[in-house]
Amino acid sequence: MRALDTAATGMAAMDLQVQVIAGNIANMTTTGFKSQRAEFQDLLYEHVQRIGAQASDQGNILPVGIELGSGVKTVGTPRLMTQGTLEQTGNTLDVAIEGDGWFKIQMPDGTFSYTRDGSFQQDSQGRIVNAEGDIVQPTITIPPNSTGLTINQQGQVSVIPAGSTTSTVLGQFTITRFANNAGLQANGSNLFTATVASGQPQDTLAGTDGAGTLQQGYLEQSNVEAVTEISNLIAAQRAYEMNSKVITAADEMLQTTSQLMK
Amino acid sequence: MENALLIGLSRQMALTHELDIIANNIANLNTSGFKADNALFAQYLMPQASDQSFTGQDRRVTYVEDRASWIDMSPGAIQHTGDPLDVAIDGNAYFVVQTPNGQQRYTRNGSFSINSTGQLVTSEGYQVVGDGGPITFQSTDHDVVISPTGMITVREGANANDSARGQLQLVSFANPAQLQKSGGSTFTAPANVTANPAPAGTNVVQGAIEKSNVNGVGEMARLIELTRSYTDVSNILQEQSDERRNSLSQLAQAPTSS
Repeated sequence: MRALDTAATGMAAMDLQVQVIAGNIANMTTTGFKSQRAEFQDLLYEHVQRIGAQASDQGNILPVGIELGSGVKTVGTPRLMTQGTLEQTGNTLDVAIEGDGWFKIQMPDGTFSYTRDGSFQQDSQGRIVNAEGDIVQPTITIPPNSTGLTINQQGQVSVIPAGSTTSTVLGQFTITRFANNAGLQANGSNLFTATVASGQPQDTLAGTDGAGTLQQGYLEQSNVEAVTEISNLIAAQRAYEMNSKVITAADEMLQTTSQLMK
Repeated sequence: MENALLIGLSRQMALTHELDIIANNIANLNTSGFKADNALFAQYLMPQASDQSFTGQDRRVTYVEDRASWIDMSPGAIQHTGDPLDVAIDGNAYFVVQTPNGQQRYTRNGSFSINSTGQLVTSEGYQVVGDGGPITFQSTDHDVVISPTGMITVREGANANDSARGQLQLVSFANPAQLQKSGGSTFTAPANVTANPAPAGTNVVQGAIEKSNVNGVGEMARLIELTRSYTDVSNILQEQSDERRNSLSQLAQAPTSS
């Protein structure tokens, strides 16, 4: 019975929907997190009687046909790349991007990852690193005992070195843009890597070529909306139940048929 | 006697098809742009055995035949997503998308994204067709705005003025029920059906998506009705079968009693 398989695809899809929602809710307070959404599409149809087929020798055309669908498939879990709200932290090395673009991070193996999480620190050598200790590009080293660390909207990092009264620019953060932000691959720890779908990374500077500007002392909150997630969760749970009812109905019908034989 | 069995069987076959359709509707309860299917049944009159001479009056018997499944093209609920590349249609129209082999398809699912070459595509990777072919974005584009008429404008780099990137093509059909489902929330038009430009007043809504128009409660009610109906037919068949068995056994006893 086809209905059994069809309802099973529905249950599997709703199971995945709940997984995606769980991931979003778990990351509601993760800095720079971008919420995901499961996107579904209907599966292929069996055309038992094709629309537009000839109904008789006189050339009558069937206005409608018989189409039996075979369920649902998950086509993707795109990320909603909207801006999260900026929360003031007051920490001088917290930076948020207001607008499009990503911080470029060098991984220990030399490859590059991209993040919206700008909660940076200094490592033992004074370099600006992310919370995992990976170096923010380009490498900016803060001289010891310097004061007055400022990061302007264009990402220029300047300090007043020890024994000086004027500030010196140490470097400027690289901001990377992608043609398709939703095509980036998430690798955990708030880090993303470029894929064929995202397009080539385009390194630029904050405030130029469509890249956003930076805000020192702020962090970008996750863009998960609790109300949306909960209402989606309710919908997914109910849909799951309904699919299971279809399986029960198909089962009952098969049972009725089998009881005909005595 | 056999007629009763066959008529019951034709009803059960039709009900099984209807169950398949309900199962597909419920499986697609959360599929963006999905349109529900409905089954349509017709009675099929058995041709009269007129070439034979019967002494008694010949009665016609009718069977159930599943005539068609029709697509309910009513609009689904519009859900706000906030994604600038999600577009919902307010009105009776369809987006035009193009498959990699050049076939044009129609969809109400406006969950679009940008592919690696900057083109606006559906989640399956089909190109979204604009008034001048595929809609392509430049790498420095940001702040995408889609107007109610489907005009797409962006800010390019540091430029303070809007740059147009094309207009979403919207089409409508005289009889949308003739469209054929092709999976992936898309429809194809049969050879004799032509797409017309969407009527004036058809708007698109940016940052929203059209949900499936499947009515969960309605489908559940149909499901209950269907299973009950199936059981009823089974009971009739059961009674027919019992009746037949009884009459056979009674007839078998007849010669011994006389």
